[in-house]
Amino acid sequence: MAKKNKNDSMDSAPKVKLGTADYIIRGIGYVFISIFAILCILPFLIILASSFETEANIVAKGVTIWPREFTTRAYEMVFKGGTIWKSYGLTIIITVLGTVIGLFITSMMGYALQRKDFVLKNVLSFFVYFTSLFQAGLAPYYLLMTQTYHLDNSYLAILLPLLTSSWVIILMKNFVKSIPYEITESGKIDGAGDFMIFLKLILPMLTPALATVGLFLALGYWNEWYQDSLFLQQKEVVMLQYRLYKIVNEASSLKDSVAGQFVDYSDLPSESLKMATAMMTTGPIIFLYPFVQRYFIGGITVGAVKG
Amino acid sequence: MAGKKIQDAAVVREKRRLGKRLFQGRTLILMCLPAILFFIAFSYMPLPGIYVAFVKYNYRKGIFGSKFIGLQNFEFVAQSGQLWRLTKNTILFNLVFIILDNLVAVTTAILLKEIQSKAFRKVSQTMMFLPYFISQVLVGVLVFNILNSDTGFLNSVIKSLGGEPLSLYKNAGPWPVIITLVHLWQKTGYNSVVYFAAIMGIDQEVIEASLVDGANGWQKIRFIVLPSLRPTIVILLLFALGGIVKGDFGLFWNLVGRNPVLYEPVDIIEMFVYRSTISNFNFSTASAVGLYQSLIGFIMVLTVNGIVKKVEPDYSLF
Amino acid sequence: MGKKLLALLLAVVMILSLAACGGASSTDDTKAPATDKAEEAEEPAAEEAEDAEEAEAPATDGDAWDAWADIDTSEHVVINYMTTGDAPTTGCNDEMLAELNKILTDKVNAEINIYWISWTDYLANYNLTLARMDGSVDLVGSATDWLDAWPNAKNGAFLELSEEDLKTYAPKTWASVPQEHWDYCKYDGEIYFMPEDNYAQWTNHGFAYRLDWAREAGLADGVKSWEDLTTYFKYVKETYGDQLIALWDTDGGAYPAGGYIQSHTDWTSLNGICSGALWGAYDSDEFTVKCEYLEETDNLIAYAKMMKEWDEIGVWPTDVLSNTGSDNRLEFRQGKTAVEQHHTQTWTGLVSPKASTDNTMYVDNPDAEVGFFYYGMESKNVKRDLITHGVCAISAASKNPERALMVYDMLRNDADCYDLFNYGIKGRSYDVDENGLRFTPDSYNADTDSISTNWWWGRNDDLEIPSAAMNWDAINALYEEYEGFAKLYPWENFVPDMDAIQSYVNNCQDVYTKYMKLICYGQYDGSEEDMVAEFQQALRDAGAEKVTEALQAQFDAFYGK
Repeated sequence: MAKKNKNDSMDSAPKVKLGTADYIIRGIGYVFISIFAILCILPFLIILASSFETEANIVAKGVTIWPREFTTRAYEMVFKGGTIWKSYGLTIIITVLGTVIGLFITSMMGYALQRKDFVLKNVLSFFVYFTSLFQAGLAPYYLLMTQTYHLDNSYLAILLPLLTSSWVIILMKNFVKSIPYEITESGKIDGAGDFMIFLKLILPMLTPALATVGLFLALGYWNEWYQDSLFLQQKEVVMLQYRLYKIVNEASSLKDSVAGQFVDYSDLPSESLKMATAMMTTGPIIFLYPFVQRYFIGGITVGAVKG
Repeated sequence: MAGKKIQDAAVVREKRRLGKRLFQGRTLILMCLPAILFFIAFSYMPLPGIYVAFVKYNYRKGIFGSKFIGLQNFEFVAQSGQLWRLTKNTILFNLVFIILDNLVAVTTAILLKEIQSKAFRKVSQTMMFLPYFISQVLVGVLVFNILNSDTGFLNSVIKSLGGEPLSLYKNAGPWPVIITLVHLWQKTGYNSVVYFAAIMGIDQEVIEASLVDGANGWQKIRFIVLPSLRPTIVILLLFALGGIVKGDFGLFWNLVGRNPVLYEPVDIIEMFVYRSTISNFNFSTASAVGLYQSLIGFIMVLTVNGIVKKVEPDYSLF
Repeated sequence: MGKKLLALLLAVVMILSLAACGGASSTDDTKAPATDKAEEAEEPAAEEAEDAEEAEAPATDGDAWDAWADIDTSEHVVINYMTTGDAPTTGCNDEMLAELNKILTDKVNAEINIYWISWTDYLANYNLTLARMDGSVDLVGSATDWLDAWPNAKNGAFLELSEEDLKTYAPKTWASVPQEHWDYCKYDGEIYFMPEDNYAQWTNHGFAYRLDWAREAGLADGVKSWEDLTTYFKYVKETYGDQLIALWDTDGGAYPAGGYIQSHTDWTSLNGICSGALWGAYDSDEFTVKCEYLEETDNLIAYAKMMKEWDEIGVWPTDVLSNTGSDNRLEFRQGKTAVEQHHTQTWTGLVSPKASTDNTMYVDNPDAEVGFFYYGMESKNVKRDLITHGVCAISAASKNPERALMVYDMLRNDADCYDLFNYGIKGRSYDVDENGLRFTPDSYNADTDSISTNWWWGRNDDLEIPSAAMNWDAINALYEEYEGFAKLYPWENFVPDMDAIQSYVNNCQDVYTKYMKLICYGQYDGSEEDMVAEFQQALRDAGAEKVTEALQAQFDAFYGK
């Protein structure tokens, strides 16, 4: 952190006079970055605006970045069915639970793998890394999950397989690398056990790492739709993104999502309903992002570059 | 004889030492245990199932009871030319992704560095990061709402400017480009952070000294920034190469997966495996292709890791 | 030392917590049956009256089932019936099942539970669920044409049904299905399915259209040819274009090219190769396999030209190929589109004003009438439905195959079970009028009183209660027309061996889908001749001719030529 501040102060205090070329590059910088940044959020603005637009306008005139006629009907529809709250509940529970458990598993192993004196360091590092190289593929995985573990139609089929991955463990390992080994040593001298050293000394220093890895894990859970499509066929309540997937890909589930509301299907706002659902399923993670951005950017930097 | 004894004794000592070291590391081993169990359960347990690629799969007999047919499943895919087409597509896409990802990310990072206003930089960085956070399902929705010819945003703009609307969803030609652009759109924010950090890490005094020496902006980038980014670029490139036969299934499937008009030029291995496991329901063929993919990927990674080990030993993975 | 112990403890807790997560799954599983039972417990009082009626039932139609008394049914079992479709959310469905399960429990000590395979990616989930072989399903609805009945039978997913078993556990079904129909359900000498062979339905495809508009367009007898259809479209577009969402709000997933060829030749497609039905033969030479789209160049070009014309008329939305999520059938019911492309059975629901509350076109426009232009009308080339268009199989992994057969026999042949499972609760979901026709009572509300079981694998005309809502005049007229010239599907018990040709077939199917989307919706530049030639070349490159050869060899072997 300290280093970053130092750099920032450098930026804002250029000591040298700039030439034309510098100004041109700087100008290009502003223009390019502005355009790119706007392009990045434009699609979201379109979906947001269109979710408040009347269905008739969308069908007749297309999507828009500013609603021509403002209506909240699509959102009323999304909420009226009530089942979206259940999906929210499920997604939040699974995301929180999975992230917390996953962080613990990941950080413990990440720490152990970085310990120079750990006898199984190399063996386990390869054990972990190998899993990213060689995968059994869809069919054996599906049969194992259903026939052996009986995880079909169980939410554990979403929770468990996403708890950790070789990638986040390697990332975590790289974070731990940035913590001086002396800290572990000092703990040892004080007579602390390995787990205590980890819990009391190392974990507090890993805050940016935990934020980063935690965010990756949380994103993995929040954006999950694939395992749902394989394993949650008999469940009425599914994760938010799979809900969106079904609504986007099939007209009849669109109707199901608002079933029982005495709606005349003919004026069911299908396009704007899709967009309202899209906004609802994505909103929380977008709002969460700016709060963790600081840690996240710092985290990726350490984890990836110093890797 | 004596030599052997000594050897034996050494082995015994070695064993004892290992036993002792294992005992000393027992807490660390326990700390690893949950993760080890996880990988055994979800990564290693399915591995024996790869055998399905060599059998004529019968539901009732299961993977190991079905009739062994050797490499026939591989032949079935190879004979129709699909294997070659899929491999080619997957590799081409990844090559383009790797090159453009890094090119665009480095450019963005350098330009980001040129931004003097901290607030501006922060806001724009946040905006650029946004696409990285959304699910591939939503990416599919966004792209559809921009590109479709009836209600799509792009065509609304074209029409309002008096142009001829594009019909992108019935023409496969532009889709390799579209997918690449969407990929860049989604990943650049993330990738550029890595490079941005590397630039921030460059010793400021070197840059200032160069400016004092009269180097202009372009020269500064050309002779100081880029060379200092070289190791980062090389490492990221090398590791990306390791994954060159792996495709981003979620992206491809949600953008074009359901539309056979579009997917032919962008068909990648993952899409084929999914289609044939699921839609055509050919467990064995799909697994054969999956195994082929894993093998190639494995060889690639070993090779790349070997190179990295020689070039930058610190960066090797194992 | 204490700290070390604590560390160990914590690690153990971690593992245990994981194990506990694992344990949760079993509680999750048991939950469903438990609630079912609770629901049952609430029922009995209300159902006693019904029960009294039940008691008489065996006396009247019992005999064949009397032998069941010797079968050990002491253990109560749940039979999971797997079907495609979206699970209904009405409470009425659960009540109907509770009532039905009382009867089934009484008679065979079993209850039925519906295992839905929702329409999103249904074929995938259907096959995956079967592949699990963990006893999660018992009775499996299937079809040899639109669900993978044959591949699943060959891969060992379905139980072989011996004559002995059928006679013992499904005696009424056994007796009512003629031997030749059982033969159609055989692969390698073993019976795998029970066919829905006593149910009048035609799944010959075609276009449902607005007969009233066709008359206005000068087609006094309705649409009688593809050219008439063009005339109809032109008129409707001109006259009603601005009131309609589209003439045909299709998602670009229907390929009527095969229908066009059917209407101009005596071609029959061979089932079970791929959904594109690319291979088949002419009636005049029924044992010579051909690839339809390599043979029918002229018809294909003529068709392509017509579709270009339709595209110019504006029959479908300009963005037809990505028009997913549209629901043309519903829009047609509401008078917002001009045609619906599907099969005859679907049309019967459209031609009958009261068949669905969605049929609002008849309310908005008293003159509304719906006609059907079926494929093969011009050439009188219509094949009867496959006996195996709807079949029921028993999963090879079923833990209670005997009871599953018994339940099937009841559902198919017991009037009370049949009515409950097909129509719902009498007086609420439906009622029967003095003419013995079925109607929906005034209190009926589709959101609360409808049921759905998608029982498309064991309907039985002997027990069907005709619906008063159906337009039987129109329907019977068409059925009689079909009866006049319809022929049998010529290769009912030929099951192609796909292993060696599957990848070529996949290639061809991909090519087919790609080009059909373009050709059927006129979505290409350049001439029709070039497009068709390109399509044919792509088919050849994909290995179509190799498949033809392989199939011919299999034909020769099977039919002994």
